[in-house]
Amino acid sequence: MTREEAIDRINDLLDSADPQTANTSMRIPRALRDAAALAVRELDVAPSTTILTANALRAMLEGAVVMAALELHFEQYPEARPSLADLAVAAAELDGHPLAQQPEFLRRAAGEVQQRHPDASPEDVLLWAEAVQSCATSREGAA
Amino acid sequence: MGRGGAELRHEPGGRGVNEIVLLDNEAVRALRDPAHKKHRHVIGHVLNAARRTARGLQVDVGVPTAVRVEAGWDRTAAAWAFVNRLRIADLPLGPEHADTAAGIRKRTGVSVADAHLGSAIQSAREHVTVITSDPGDVRVVAEGRRVEVVAL
Repeated sequence: MTREEAIDRINDLLDSADPQTANTSMRIPRALRDAAALAVRELDVAPSTTILTANALRAMLEGAVVMAALELHFEQYPEARPSLADLAVAAAELDGHPLAQQPEFLRRAAGEVQQRHPDASPEDVLLWAEAVQSCATSREGAA
Repeated sequence: MGRGGAELRHEPGGRGVNEIVLLDNEAVRALRDPAHKKHRHVIGHVLNAARRTARGLQVDVGVPTAVRVEAGWDRTAAAWAFVNRLRIADLPLGPEHADTAAGIRKRTGVSVADAHLGSAIQSAREHVTVITSDPGDVRVVAEGRRVEVVAL
Protein backbone atom coordinates (compact mmCIF):
# COMPACT_ATOMS: atom_id res chain seq x y z
CA MET A 1 0.00 0.00 0.00
CA THR A 2 1.41 3.41 -0.93
CA ARG A 3 1.22 6.34 1.48
CA GLU A 4 -1.35 7.98 -0.79
CA GLU A 5 -3.49 4.85 -0.64
CA ALA A 6 -3.11 4.69 3.13
CA ILE A 7 -4.16 8.34 3.49
CA ASP A 8 -7.18 7.83 1.24
CA ARG A 9 -8.20 4.69 3.13
CA ILE A 10 -7.83 6.37 6.53
CA ASN A 11 -9.93 9.30 5.29
CA ASP A 12 -12.61 6.90 4.04
CA LEU A 13 -12.66 5.11 7.38
CA LEU A 14 -12.83 8.38 9.34
CA ASP A 15 -15.79 9.45 7.19
CA SER A 16 -17.59 6.15 7.53
CA ALA A 17 -21.07 6.36 8.99
CA ASP A 18 -20.89 2.69 10.00
CA PRO A 19 -22.24 2.59 13.56
CA GLN A 20 -20.78 -0.84 14.24
CA THR A 21 -18.50 -1.04 17.22
CA ALA A 22 -15.79 -3.53 17.99
CA ASN A 23 -14.14 -4.77 21.12
CA THR A 24 -10.40 -4.33 20.93
CA SER A 25 -7.57 -6.06 22.65
CA MET A 26 -5.66 -2.79 22.79
CA ARG A 27 -3.61 -2.57 25.95
CA ILE A 28 -3.24 0.80 27.62
CA PRO A 29 -1.53 1.61 30.90
CA ARG A 30 -3.83 0.85 33.81
CA ALA A 31 -3.14 4.22 35.40
CA LEU A 32 -4.22 5.98 32.21
CA ARG A 33 -7.43 3.95 32.08
CA ASP A 34 -8.16 4.78 35.71
CA ALA A 35 -7.43 8.48 35.14
CA ALA A 36 -9.82 8.49 32.19
CA ALA A 37 -12.56 6.79 34.21
CA LEU A 38 -12.11 9.31 37.00
CA ALA A 39 -12.16 12.26 34.59
CA VAL A 40 -15.42 11.02 33.07
CA ARG A 41 -17.05 10.35 36.45
CA GLU A 42 -15.86 13.36 38.41
CA LEU A 43 -14.96 16.02 35.84
CA ASP A 44 -17.65 15.29 33.26
CA VAL A 45 -15.18 15.50 30.38
CA ALA A 46 -17.22 13.04 28.28
CA PRO A 47 -20.27 10.80 28.72
CA SER A 48 -18.09 7.68 28.94
CA THR A 49 -14.49 6.57 28.77
CA THR A 50 -15.27 4.91 25.45
CA ILE A 51 -16.44 8.22 23.96
CA LEU A 52 -13.49 10.03 25.52
CA THR A 53 -11.06 7.55 24.00
CA ALA A 54 -12.76 7.47 20.59
CA ASN A 55 -12.91 11.26 20.37
CA ALA A 56 -9.27 11.68 21.31
CA LEU A 57 -8.26 9.03 18.79
CA ARG A 58 -10.39 10.60 16.07
CA ALA A 59 -8.98 14.09 16.69
CA MET A 60 -5.43 12.79 16.53
CA LEU A 61 -6.10 10.82 13.34
CA GLU A 62 -7.95 13.68 11.62
CA GLY A 63 -5.03 16.01 12.24
CA ALA A 64 -2.35 13.42 11.50
CA VAL A 65 -3.81 12.31 8.17
CA VAL A 66 -3.91 15.90 6.89
CA MET A 67 -0.34 16.49 8.04
CA ALA A 68 0.71 13.28 6.27
CA ALA A 69 -0.99 14.44 3.06
CA LEU A 70 0.80 17.78 3.34
CA GLU A 71 4.16 16.07 3.93
CA LEU A 72 3.67 14.11 0.70
CA HIS A 73 2.89 17.37 -1.06
CA PHE A 74 6.01 19.03 0.35
CA GLU A 75 8.15 16.17 -0.94
CA GLN A 76 6.92 16.97 -4.43
CA TYR A 77 6.81 20.76 -3.97
CA PRO A 78 9.38 21.76 -1.31
CA GLU A 79 8.70 25.45 -1.91
CA ALA A 80 5.11 24.91 -0.74
CA ARG A 81 6.22 24.17 2.81
CA PRO A 82 5.36 27.14 5.06
CA SER A 83 8.17 28.47 7.24
CA LEU A 84 7.74 28.96 10.97
CA ALA A 85 7.20 32.64 10.22
CA ASP A 86 4.46 31.80 7.69
CA LEU A 87 2.76 29.56 10.24
CA ALA A 88 3.02 32.20 12.96
CA VAL A 89 1.37 34.78 10.71
CA ALA A 90 -1.33 32.25 9.79
CA ALA A 91 -1.89 31.41 13.46
CA ALA A 92 -2.29 35.10 14.28
CA GLU A 93 -4.75 35.50 11.41
CA LEU A 94 -6.72 32.45 12.49
CA ASP A 95 -7.01 33.76 16.03
CA GLY A 96 -7.77 37.33 15.03
CA HIS A 97 -4.66 38.29 17.00
CA PRO A 98 -3.70 42.00 16.71
CA LEU A 99 -0.18 40.98 15.66
CA ALA A 100 -1.67 39.59 12.45
CA GLN A 101 -1.57 43.22 11.31
CA GLN A 102 2.21 43.26 11.82
CA PRO A 103 3.45 40.32 9.75
CA GLU A 104 6.99 41.67 9.39
CA PHE A 105 7.32 42.00 13.16
CA LEU A 106 6.09 38.40 13.50
CA ARG A 107 8.57 37.24 10.90
CA ARG A 108 11.45 38.85 12.81
CA ALA A 109 10.17 37.26 16.00
CA ALA A 110 10.04 33.85 14.29
CA GLY A 111 13.67 34.27 13.22
CA GLU A 112 14.74 35.14 16.77
CA VAL A 113 12.83 32.23 18.32
CA GLN A 114 14.03 29.72 15.76
CA GLN A 115 17.68 30.57 16.40
CA ARG A 116 17.43 29.21 19.92
CA HIS A 117 14.49 26.83 19.54
CA PRO A 118 14.51 25.12 16.14
CA ASP A 119 11.40 23.10 17.05
CA ALA A 120 9.35 26.07 18.21
CA SER A 121 5.67 26.18 17.32
CA PRO A 122 3.82 29.10 15.71
CA GLU A 123 2.13 29.72 19.05
CA ASP A 124 5.60 30.00 20.69
CA VAL A 125 6.43 32.74 18.19
CA LEU A 126 3.20 34.59 18.94
CA LEU A 127 3.90 34.46 22.65
CA TRP A 128 7.46 35.69 22.16
CA ALA A 129 6.33 38.49 19.87
CA GLU A 130 3.70 39.54 22.36
CA ALA A 131 6.30 39.59 25.15
CA VAL A 132 8.74 41.64 23.07
CA GLN A 133 6.04 44.12 22.20
CA SER A 134 4.88 44.34 25.80
CA CYS A 135 8.46 45.05 26.99
CA ALA A 136 8.87 47.72 24.34
CA THR A 137 5.62 49.37 25.40
CA SER A 138 6.66 49.30 29.06
CA ARG A 139 10.02 50.87 28.25
CA GLU A 140 8.35 53.60 26.26
CA GLY A 141 5.98 54.26 29.16
CA ALA A 142 8.84 54.50 31.65
CA ALA A 143 10.90 56.84 29.46
CA MET B 1 -15.33 15.96 9.91
CA GLY B 2 -17.18 14.74 6.91
CA ARG B 3 -16.20 15.41 3.35
CA GLY B 4 -17.84 15.24 -0.03
CA GLY B 5 -21.40 15.97 0.93
CA ALA B 6 -21.35 15.34 4.64
CA GLU B 7 -21.98 18.28 6.92
CA LEU B 8 -19.63 19.25 9.69
CA ARG B 9 -20.35 17.18 12.74
CA HIS B 10 -21.37 18.48 16.11
CA GLU B 11 -21.35 15.29 18.06
CA PRO B 12 -22.71 14.63 21.48
CA GLY B 13 -20.02 13.84 23.94
CA GLY B 14 -18.17 17.10 24.02
CA ARG B 15 -16.42 16.86 20.68
CA GLY B 16 -17.85 19.97 19.10
CA VAL B 17 -15.89 21.97 16.59
CA ASN B 18 -14.11 24.89 18.26
CA GLU B 19 -13.37 26.79 15.13
CA ILE B 20 -14.09 26.67 11.43
CA VAL B 21 -12.03 28.04 8.58
CA LEU B 22 -14.01 28.69 5.40
CA LEU B 23 -12.44 28.99 1.97
CA ASP B 24 -13.60 31.21 -0.85
CA ASN B 25 -13.10 30.53 -4.54
CA GLU B 26 -9.62 32.04 -4.70
CA ALA B 27 -8.47 30.20 -1.58
CA VAL B 28 -9.57 26.90 -3.13
CA ARG B 29 -7.74 27.70 -6.35
CA ALA B 30 -4.62 28.72 -4.42
CA LEU B 31 -4.72 25.49 -2.46
CA ARG B 32 -4.92 23.37 -5.58
CA ASP B 33 -2.21 25.09 -7.60
CA PRO B 34 1.37 24.91 -6.26
CA ALA B 35 2.29 27.70 -8.66
CA HIS B 36 -0.34 30.07 -7.25
CA LYS B 37 1.33 32.95 -5.41
CA LYS B 38 -0.85 32.36 -2.34
CA HIS B 39 -0.50 28.56 -2.29
CA ARG B 40 1.86 28.51 0.70
CA HIS B 41 -0.30 30.99 2.60
CA VAL B 42 -3.41 28.81 2.34
CA ILE B 43 -1.38 25.66 3.01
CA GLY B 44 -0.16 27.32 6.21
CA HIS B 45 -3.72 27.71 7.41
CA VAL B 46 -4.60 24.11 6.60
CA LEU B 47 -1.47 22.92 8.37
CA ASN B 48 -2.18 25.02 11.46
CA ALA B 49 -5.74 23.70 11.55
CA ALA B 50 -4.48 20.11 11.35
CA ARG B 51 -1.88 20.67 14.05
CA ARG B 52 -4.46 22.16 16.40
CA THR B 53 -6.95 19.40 15.66
CA ALA B 54 -4.35 16.75 16.45
CA ARG B 55 -3.81 18.50 19.80
CA GLY B 56 -7.51 18.34 20.60
CA LEU B 57 -8.42 21.89 19.58
CA GLN B 58 -10.83 20.97 16.82
CA VAL B 59 -10.38 23.32 13.86
CA ASP B 60 -12.31 22.29 10.77
CA VAL B 61 -11.77 23.61 7.28
CA GLY B 62 -14.87 23.84 5.13
CA VAL B 63 -16.08 24.98 1.75
CA PRO B 64 -19.63 25.96 0.81
CA THR B 65 -20.60 23.72 -2.11
CA ALA B 66 -21.57 26.70 -4.30
CA VAL B 67 -18.02 28.00 -3.81
CA ARG B 68 -16.70 24.56 -4.75
CA VAL B 69 -18.73 24.71 -7.98
CA GLU B 70 -17.39 28.18 -8.76
CA ALA B 71 -13.82 26.98 -8.20
CA GLY B 72 -14.39 23.92 -10.39
CA TRP B 73 -13.56 21.50 -7.59
CA ASP B 74 -14.81 18.11 -8.72
CA ARG B 75 -14.04 15.60 -6.00
CA THR B 76 -14.09 12.76 -8.52
CA ALA B 77 -11.42 14.34 -10.72
CA ALA B 78 -7.82 13.19 -10.33
CA ALA B 79 -6.63 16.80 -10.58
CA TRP B 80 -8.14 17.44 -7.15
CA ALA B 81 -6.67 14.39 -5.42
CA PHE B 82 -4.31 16.41 -3.22
CA VAL B 83 -7.00 18.83 -2.03
CA ASN B 84 -9.39 15.91 -1.46
CA ARG B 85 -6.93 14.44 1.05
CA LEU B 86 -7.01 17.55 3.26
CA ARG B 87 -10.34 16.71 4.91
CA ILE B 88 -12.03 19.91 3.80
CA ALA B 89 -15.72 19.52 4.52
CA ASP B 90 -18.52 20.35 2.15
CA LEU B 91 -21.12 22.74 3.50
CA PRO B 92 -24.12 21.78 1.36
CA LEU B 93 -26.65 24.27 0.06
CA GLY B 94 -29.57 22.58 1.82
CA PRO B 95 -33.01 24.16 2.26
CA GLU B 96 -32.06 26.25 5.30
CA HIS B 97 -28.83 27.55 3.78
CA ALA B 98 -30.68 28.22 0.50
CA ASP B 99 -33.24 30.41 2.27
CA THR B 100 -30.56 32.35 4.12
CA ALA B 101 -28.44 32.66 0.99
CA ALA B 102 -31.42 33.84 -1.06
CA GLY B 103 -32.04 36.58 1.49
CA ILE B 104 -28.39 37.65 1.48
CA ARG B 105 -28.32 37.73 -2.33
CA LYS B 106 -31.49 39.79 -2.45
CA ARG B 107 -30.24 42.29 0.12
CA THR B 108 -26.66 42.62 -1.11
CA GLY B 109 -26.63 41.61 -4.78
CA VAL B 110 -23.64 39.28 -4.36
CA SER B 111 -23.06 36.11 -6.39
CA VAL B 112 -24.71 32.80 -5.46
CA ALA B 113 -21.37 31.46 -4.20
CA ASP B 114 -20.79 34.50 -1.99
CA ALA B 115 -24.36 34.32 -0.70
CA HIS B 116 -23.79 30.67 0.24
CA LEU B 117 -20.57 31.69 1.97
CA GLY B 118 -22.57 34.30 3.86
CA SER B 119 -25.16 31.75 4.97
CA ALA B 120 -22.35 29.46 6.15
CA ILE B 121 -20.84 32.31 8.16
CA GLN B 122 -24.16 33.34 9.66
CA SER B 123 -25.20 29.80 10.64
CA ALA B 124 -21.88 28.76 12.17
CA ARG B 125 -21.97 28.07 15.87
CA GLU B 126 -18.24 28.34 16.29
CA HIS B 127 -15.56 30.95 15.74
CA VAL B 128 -15.36 31.58 11.98
CA THR B 129 -12.38 32.57 9.87
CA VAL B 130 -12.73 33.12 6.13
CA ILE B 131 -9.75 33.01 3.79
CA THR B 132 -10.63 35.17 0.84
CA SER B 133 -9.35 37.36 -1.94
CA ASP B 134 -12.24 39.73 -1.34
CA PRO B 135 -12.49 40.76 2.33
CA GLY B 136 -15.04 43.45 1.52
CA ASP B 137 -17.52 40.97 0.10
CA VAL B 138 -17.08 38.65 3.07
CA ARG B 139 -17.92 41.46 5.50
CA VAL B 140 -20.95 42.35 3.38
CA VAL B 141 -22.34 38.80 3.36
CA ALA B 142 -21.58 38.30 7.06
CA GLU B 143 -24.12 41.10 7.68
CA GLY B 144 -22.74 41.94 11.08
CA ARG B 145 -21.88 38.41 12.21
CA ARG B 146 -18.43 38.41 13.79
CA VAL B 147 -15.91 36.83 11.46
CA GLU B 148 -12.13 36.84 11.12
CA VAL B 149 -11.19 37.71 7.56
CA VAL B 150 -7.85 36.61 6.16
CA ALA B 151 -7.05 38.49 2.99
CA LEU B 152 -5.13 36.70 0.26
